[in-house]
This record gives sequence, C-alpha cells and structure tokens, in this order.
Amino acid sequence: MEQILATTLRSAAPLALVATAGVFAFRAGIFHLGLEGLMIVGAFTTVAVGEATGSVELGILAAIGVCMVLSAVYWWVIGPLGANVIIAGLGLTSIGLGGTAFALGAIFDRRGSMFTEVVLPRPVSGITSGFGVIVSEHSVLVWMTPLIVLTAWVVLRRSRFGLRLAAVGEYPFAARAAGVNPSVVRLQALLIAGALCALGGAELSVGALHNFTENMTNGRGFIAFVAVIFGAWHPIGAALAALFFGFADAIGIQSQINITERVPREFVLMIPYVLTILAVWLGGLWRRRSLEAEAGYAELREPDR
Amino acid sequence: MTVPRGAASAGTAAVRCRSVGVSFGTVRALHSVSLDLAPARIHALVGQNGAGNTTLAKVLGGLQTPDAGDVHIAGRKLPPGDVRSARAAGLAMVHQHFSLPPSFTIAEALELTAARPEGRSVYRRAELHRRWHEDVADVGGTAALSTRIRDLPVETRQSLEIVRALTTEARILVLDEPTALLTPAAIEALFERLRRLRDDGITVLIVLHKLREVVAVADTVSVLREGELVLGPVEMSEATQGQISDAIVGPASGADRSIGVAAATGAEHPTLLELVRVSSRESAFEPGLRSVDLSVESGEIVGVAGVEGNGQRGLVSVIAGLGAAIEGSVLLGGSEATRSPPGRRRSRGLRLVPFDRNSEGISRSAPLWLNQSALRLIGRRRRRSPLISLRDYKRQATEALDHWQVRYNAVTQPAESLSGGNMQRLILARELAPGLEVLVAAQPTRGLDFSATSFVRRSLRGLRDAGAGVLLVSSDLDELFELSDRLLVMYGGQIVARLEAPFDRRAVGDAMTGASR
Repeated sequence: MEQILATTLRSAAPLALVATAGVFAFRAGIFHLGLEGLMIVGAFTTVAVGEATGSVELGILAAIGVCMVLSAVYWWVIGPLGANVIIAGLGLTSIGLGGTAFALGAIFDRRGSMFTEVVLPRPVSGITSGFGVIVSEHSVLVWMTPLIVLTAWVVLRRSRFGLRLAAVGEYPFAARAAGVNPSVVRLQALLIAGALCALGGAELSVGALHNFTENMTNGRGFIAFVAVIFGAWHPIGAALAALFFGFADAIGIQSQINITERVPREFVLMIPYVLTILAVWLGGLWRRRSLEAEAGYAELREPDR
Repeated sequence: MTVPRGAASAGTAAVRCRSVGVSFGTVRALHSVSLDLAPARIHALVGQNGAGNTTLAKVLGGLQTPDAGDVHIAGRKLPPGDVRSARAAGLAMVHQHFSLPPSFTIAEALELTAARPEGRSVYRRAELHRRWHEDVADVGGTAALSTRIRDLPVETRQSLEIVRALTTEARILVLDEPTALLTPAAIEALFERLRRLRDDGITVLIVLHKLREVVAVADTVSVLREGELVLGPVEMSEATQGQISDAIVGPASGADRSIGVAAATGAEHPTLLELVRVSSRESAFEPGLRSVDLSVESGEIVGVAGVEGNGQRGLVSVIAGLGAAIEGSVLLGGSEATRSPPGRRRSRGLRLVPFDRNSEGISRSAPLWLNQSALRLIGRRRRRSPLISLRDYKRQATEALDHWQVRYNAVTQPAESLSGGNMQRLILARELAPGLEVLVAAQPTRGLDFSATSFVRRSLRGLRDAGAGVLLVSSDLDELFELSDRLLVMYGGQIVARLEAPFDRRAVGDAMTGASR
C-alpha cells in the first residue's frame, strides 16, 4: 500500500506540472496539444545540457529556455501566421518526439536511450519501511509540485493577470474592449506553459530516473491534457486529476509486479487506461449540465456585424 | 440640410473627428467623416445597418484603427486604434454586444476593466468587494458583487456596462445601439440616466435605429449613410422627422417586391395551422406551454405579444417540430402533424423565420448559395439523381438573392459576411419560396434598421394578401399593432388574452404583465 502511494506521487508529479501548463494555455483559449512535444524536449535538454556541463541546475534552466523558445514559435505560428491551433500543436509534438530521437543519435551517437549521471537531489531518502516510504526517494521537483500548483492557482484566480488571461480565453472581445491585447496575453500564457512543460520533462528524466529514452513521455502530455479537461481547467482540479491518473498508473505498475500468473499481462497493462476512460466519462456526465448553460451564450460569442 | 459647424465651435468640441475613413477590403465603411460634438449634450448618431455607425463608434473608442483621418478629444489628438489612450483621455464605450465575460463575477469584471489598477497585482476576494461595492449600488436590481454576469437579466447587464464605463472617470460616453435588447420600460430608464449624466456635464454619443428614440433622448442628431455623414450634427429643434428619415434612407430605391405563394386557393379562409390544448416541458429560460389553443387562417396575420421568456420560444419550437408537445396536438392544413419531424412539416408548407438569425437562421460559415438551398436539398422527397448540379443551385440562389435585394459580392461568400439586414433578407429569400402556406416569424425585425424593417413588414403583408397565414411573434408592440389582424398575449406559458383590431394598448400591457389576471 505504501509503495502504491509513493509510486502515485512519483507518476503524478510530472503529469501535474504539465497539466498546470495546459491550464494556463486552456484559460487563454488555446487547446494546447503540443504539451507532449514540449515535455520530451524538456526531458532531453535537461539530460543533454546536464551531461555537457555536469550541472543539473544548468540542464533544467536550458530546458526551460528551449521550451519557451519553442512555445514562442508555436505562438507565432498559431497567432500572427494564423495556423490551426490543433494541427500546429500536434506538429509541435511530432517535432519534439522525432527531434529528440534524432538529436540523441546525432549528438551523443546513442540509439534508444542514454544513461546520465546528473540527477535531481532527493530531500528524503533511504526509508524502506512504514509510512515513511510514501515520502522517500522523491526528487526535489516532486516536493515543489504542490507549491507550483498553488502558485498557479493564485496567478490564475486571484491576480489581475489571471483576469486578463480568462477574459482573453473566454471572450476576446471583452479583453480588447478593456484595452488588453489578446495576442500578447496568449504569448505570456504559452511561455509559462513552456516553462512548466520543461519542468515536467525534467522530472521524468532526471527526477524519477537517470536516463533519457526515446518517446519516454509515452503519451503523458496527452494524459495531462485530459487532466486539464477533467479538472474543469482549474489548476487545483487539474492537479487532482493528475493525482488520480498517477494512482491509476501506480495500480497498473503494482499489479504487474504482484499478479503475474492468474491474469494475462495485457489486461494488467490496460488498467490505467480503462480507469482513465471511466473517469473521464463520469466527469463528462457530471459536467454536462453546466456546459448546457454555457451554450446559451453562443450568440454572445459571435457578434452580429 | 445643415452643414457641420466648423471653425466656430472647434475650440470647444468635446470630440472632434477629422476626415475619418475606414475600409474593409473593397467595402468602404466610412468615408471622410468630419464631426464636432459639443460638450455636455446628448448626440444621436443614426443610420441604416451597415451605414458605418458601429465603425465610427469603434474608431472613437480605439477599437478600430482608421485608414485615414484622426480623432481629437478635448483638443488633443488620440493615437489611432488604442483603447487605453482613448480611456485615458476620458472616453468610454458601451458596446452593442456586451463586453464583459459571462463567467466573471461583477467584481472581477469591474477589476478587469478598471482604468487605473490599484494595490497589489494579487488580490483577495474581500479586497475586490471592498473596492467595488459602491459602484455596484449604481447598477441597481438585485445585483451583488459575487453574481456572475451570465446570471444577470439583460437590462442589469446593460446598466453594468454603463457603470463599468463610468468607473474610468469618463467625460465622454459612447453607446453603440444600447436599446436593441431592452424592453420599453428599460429604455426609458436608460434615457433618464443619460439625461442625468448630461446634466452632470458628460458628453454622450448614442447610436440609435429608431426615430422615436432619437426624438425622445437626443439634443442633436447626425446621420450616416453608406459611410458618409449626410446630416448634422443638427439641433433636434431645427430638424424635422421627415428630414431625418429622408437622410437615413436616401433617394427612393426599389419598388415593393411581389411574393409568389402557392396557397392562394379559392377556398374561403381555411385554417392552416391549429394548436389544440398543447402543453410542453419548461426550459432553462422559460415556462413550458400550458394548454395553448390557437389557429391561423389563410389570409391573416396573428400576432403574439408578451414579455420575453413567457413561452414564446417554446411555442415556436413546438410548431416547428423542434420541441415536443407533451399533450395536445398540432394540425397543419387540418391534418395531424404533432409527431411529424420538421422536414415533413416544411414540405407541408410550414416555414420559419427563427428567433436568432445568427445561430438558428443561417449557417454563418456556409456560403450564401448553400444557405439558400440547403433546406431544399433536404426537403425534396424524390430526386431523379443522387447527384446535384452546383451550377444550378448557385444560379437559383443568385436569382433568389437578387429578387430579394440581398447586397452581396458573390454567392460563394460566407453568410457571416452579410450585415444583419441582409442576413434577414437571405432568410426570407429561402423561407418565402413557393410552397409556403404558413409562416412563423419570430422577432423578424429585431436589430434591423429602418429600411430593412419596413422591407420585412411589407413582405409579411404581401404574404397575407396572397392568402398565406402568418404567426408573428414580436416584442415590438407597435409592430404587432400595425401588422396583426388578431393578437394573442402570452403570459407564463399560457395565452391570457385574445384581442381583435383595433387593439387597446392598455389591455395588451395589462395582459403582458399579468395585471389583468
């Protein structure tokens, strides 16, 4: 049981960070499907720069920088260039997945994966029994995740910047009428999202593990996006959803270890995904009413000329 | 016609436009408009839909960058297209479409639009409420700071928009068609408020469509037609109503259109549409219908009056087949149609001009020709070939649109590029095609300008004279009195009064407000 909870926290942290990134983008009105791509670029850059400099801090800073630059490019493509948000986002994900695999071969001459010595510090470690196991062996980023989520809540729900962001996402005309430039606010939201994705990726490669593997995000960016929707694009809601998905993941991992004989392995591997589908379906049923109420404002969104 | 005063009042003008021009692609929205507005007066700006009123208002408010010319406020030139500096110069706008996000609370919305942010950039709810609690008192009604915008009634939202504008310490208030969504009582309250603001020294520019409202509130009037200033600003005392409406409409254009109706049979006033004891479920916005009886005969216009939200939407959707009746029956041409789907009803001669032309009447993104022919494509029972000829449909659409004088560039342009009046003409061109027997027209002139309104009304009369039946749902009492042969009043999902012409305004008003019950 303690082991499951520990694994839950470990799987949930990167999801929660990336889901928070998704909440920023979603509130600015952007369906950000590039989360997965930014996440893996973050994971790779941390390992690559960390290896080159021997410093995990420099690695993470570089990852944040690279992800913010990519986010700015994404903004430029969907904003000033007017490309489709979904397609450009999926493009960003493809570039991230393919580009990191290519760079792994081109820069380090490795295939598939590479081991790294640099790793995030772990404030509490070495506890092997009792409830202490739950908090043991987590990287400093896992410890910081609740703080980051809480900060995101303050920024989004209790700051003027958050009001501007929400106005841009919900009703751009309102933002323009209030003297806010929606394009600039979207850029700001995407830059924040980029930085958070970099952290999520870094936790994956140098927090929980000691390596970078091709496609190591394995759809976590998309799961995080689902957590955004499931959590009603509220930072705390999205983090709780991430926690739930982390729990489903932990159950899957534990069952693989414990139930080996009686149940086919494939069924055990399905557990997290089945739980995710069930949860999203239930969440959808529960929220349908409020969406219907929103639909009454369709006429507001599309003003007559 | 009076020439705009030039040099004489230049020094004292609160707002001054010099040769302002705006073009959207090939369409010229404003052409060399020069206008001086004296301080502490109520200035009305009138014109047809698409005459450039809204564009001019947006130029003043900094939401639209002009291609030419400039705007001066209190003698200082404004940088073009900059909302913040317009507000800093003391000009605030109240938009035609509400400008506050529906999911925000009143306090959040006021904080969002505040001109000068105070305090830290991070706040607590209680701080916001302390800061804005005086302003919300001006909004009136039962509005509290934690109420969400979407839960406010229309007139309170309007009122909040004005309060929002005034929190920026505005000296000049620009209102773009503020009366379009308001009830007569709310309009009078708005005008009273504007008069008080004027007496406090605030300059008001108000865009209006109805001459009656101009006469009621304005000190001076200016008229735009096709992007040019054709009249004013003139003192209301110096202008006659005839002069103003001539300026709005311009030289006479186009004779009345005739409408071909298949139902012009010799039979004497057969009943075309009948509802027998129909009840329906309530919706989020309205009570359900309760045992409604009504009939529409050939050659008559039956008006339906009522304060909005008393079952009119339910009535129209039950007749159209979009909503189910839980009791009673709907008869079309004397035979049962209660369970018929909308397409079947349509092929039996029922046509509909829906409440909201933007979301129900047209597909905004579809081209004009498809909007014109989509329902015919669906409605036709047996076609010789499963394939259609686009060229035929486009040609037919061109003919229909030209016949109905829709102003457009090409039948392939999306419907959203049309102005409100032209959109309504597009809908009429489709709905009033041959085969029509009964028309249900829901708010057919809402938000339309003078000439489009009279065009729609002429069309409805033409239908009646050709032997069709019309059920006209409207919140404009003058329109109902002018057009209807009989009038029904809805209240709480029931028909509470049935009146014959000539109508007694008082009796209708009492029935609408439930006073007669």
